[in-house]
Amino acid sequence: MVWVPGVGEIPLSLSTIKGRRKSITVKRYGIVSQALLKYKPGDRIFLRGPYGTGFTLTEERNLIIGGGSGMAALRPLINDKSFGMVSAKTGDELLFTHEFKENSIMIMTDDGSSGLKGFPSDYLESVDIDQFARIYACGPELMLKALYHKLKDSRPDAEFSMERIMKCGIGICDSCSIDGRQICVDGPVVRVGEINPDGEFGHQKLDISGRRIEIHL
Amino acid sequence: MIDLGVSIAGIDLENPFVLASGILDENGYTLVEVLRSGASAVVTKSIGLEERKGYIPPVVYELPYGLLNAIGLSNPGIEHYSHEISIAIREKKPIIGSVFGSTPEEFAHLSSRMEDFGVSAVELNLSCPHVKGYGQEVGSDPNLVRDIVRSVKRKVDVPVFAKLSPNVSDIQAIAEAAIDADGFTLINTVKAMKIDIYARQPVLSNVYGGLSGSAIKPVGIRYVYEIASNFDRPIFGVGGITTAEDAVEYIMAGASAVQVGTAVARVGKRVFNKLISEMRDFMEREGFSKIGDMKGVALRR
Repeated sequence: MVWVPGVGEIPLSLSTIKGRRKSITVKRYGIVSQALLKYKPGDRIFLRGPYGTGFTLTEERNLIIGGGSGMAALRPLINDKSFGMVSAKTGDELLFTHEFKENSIMIMTDDGSSGLKGFPSDYLESVDIDQFARIYACGPELMLKALYHKLKDSRPDAEFSMERIMKCGIGICDSCSIDGRQICVDGPVVRVGEINPDGEFGHQKLDISGRRIEIHL
Repeated sequence: MIDLGVSIAGIDLENPFVLASGILDENGYTLVEVLRSGASAVVTKSIGLEERKGYIPPVVYELPYGLLNAIGLSNPGIEHYSHEISIAIREKKPIIGSVFGSTPEEFAHLSSRMEDFGVSAVELNLSCPHVKGYGQEVGSDPNLVRDIVRSVKRKVDVPVFAKLSPNVSDIQAIAEAAIDADGFTLINTVKAMKIDIYARQPVLSNVYGGLSGSAIKPVGIRYVYEIASNFDRPIFGVGGITTAEDAVEYIMAGASAVQVGTAVARVGKRVFNKLISEMRDFMEREGFSKIGDMKGVALRR
């Protein structure tokens, strides 16, 4: 949880995990991210955590499927043998595509402004997923939902990093819960096999006040 | 044979451990998980008339001995919350509806809607320490407390609990004002704050919050003891219960049952099953067969 004193606090993932220097990736979104983008070298950053679960790391060949700013959480998983399916709404919003080796990436955008037009789930069949030791995905819930149906029975273990409104980060406020599990504590990374496709995942969530809303495109 | 069952204001509970208001009780499916984890009943998040977003995070700060929070009574409004209760109620365990308002009419309407949704009791939040115009501000005025409790009692048939604040100068005057309630819940959080010395400012966006957890247990014990000594009403003891020994202390001070909040954050939902097995062990070791046999034994009459 990253705090900008006097402004607010937001949940973020690390984009660098190895070594002494860590990094976070910030997208201009709300008041806190806008304030973070004004930070200069030497400014103090305030944070608490880390909280929740992480991806199961592998040095083997892995498949990384990222949607939009979801790539921020997936970046530390990229290795020499990774294959990436990187997507975003438009070409301008694609992240970390250059960190994959040549011919080890497939790019797609919702509007076709860069790479293929469409979503990762549309192109999953063109990739031989059995060659990977693990599959990781992070992105909008509807992208994950579409992937769920294609990966639930896959041989390589697939892990998704989920996103919900998160206020406390420590499993009390109930804002981020899916089917009674708190994404801040029992997630954000969950194994695909643990997801209930008939529950709240991909269907409903609570908004900032706790009001139940449907998840739409 | 050890019997963990208790009855409080006519509500039968399979064990004395109930989820406290404000913890994991915004989403009906979470309430279901809490009940399946061993809680004998749940108190809902405090619900008001209208949707409220609550405060901008930071809304919590963890301390070694407790937890500071100012969530800001975020809630979807009473009509939207009915769906969450309809999910939780399928577990067939008591749901206690917590409500907050600023007038007797608001409290009465909210309680009546909670009764319509099928709750087994209502709990009046007269004690949230960090929202202007609600909670403690309402609960510090004996005349207003009297009117609120009477209005609610006239409107609903289910038992009514008044949750009182430790942040008042004379809790006995407030308890006296709330005497028409069927029971008391003691205590809400203790008004407190945290300053980050490097940021040189308060951490919580609301500045003030409520302190819960182990740090406030002695305060809770004292209030339960004091109210149990002076009033003939059943009491839910709440504040810093992490182990069965903590619960026994509240029960010996006069509580009929207890509510657990911060420990759920510290230990997880499994804290309820942990409390149940610890309680069995304690009672076996100490020769108690019923929870009621321990109730109020520490009181000097």
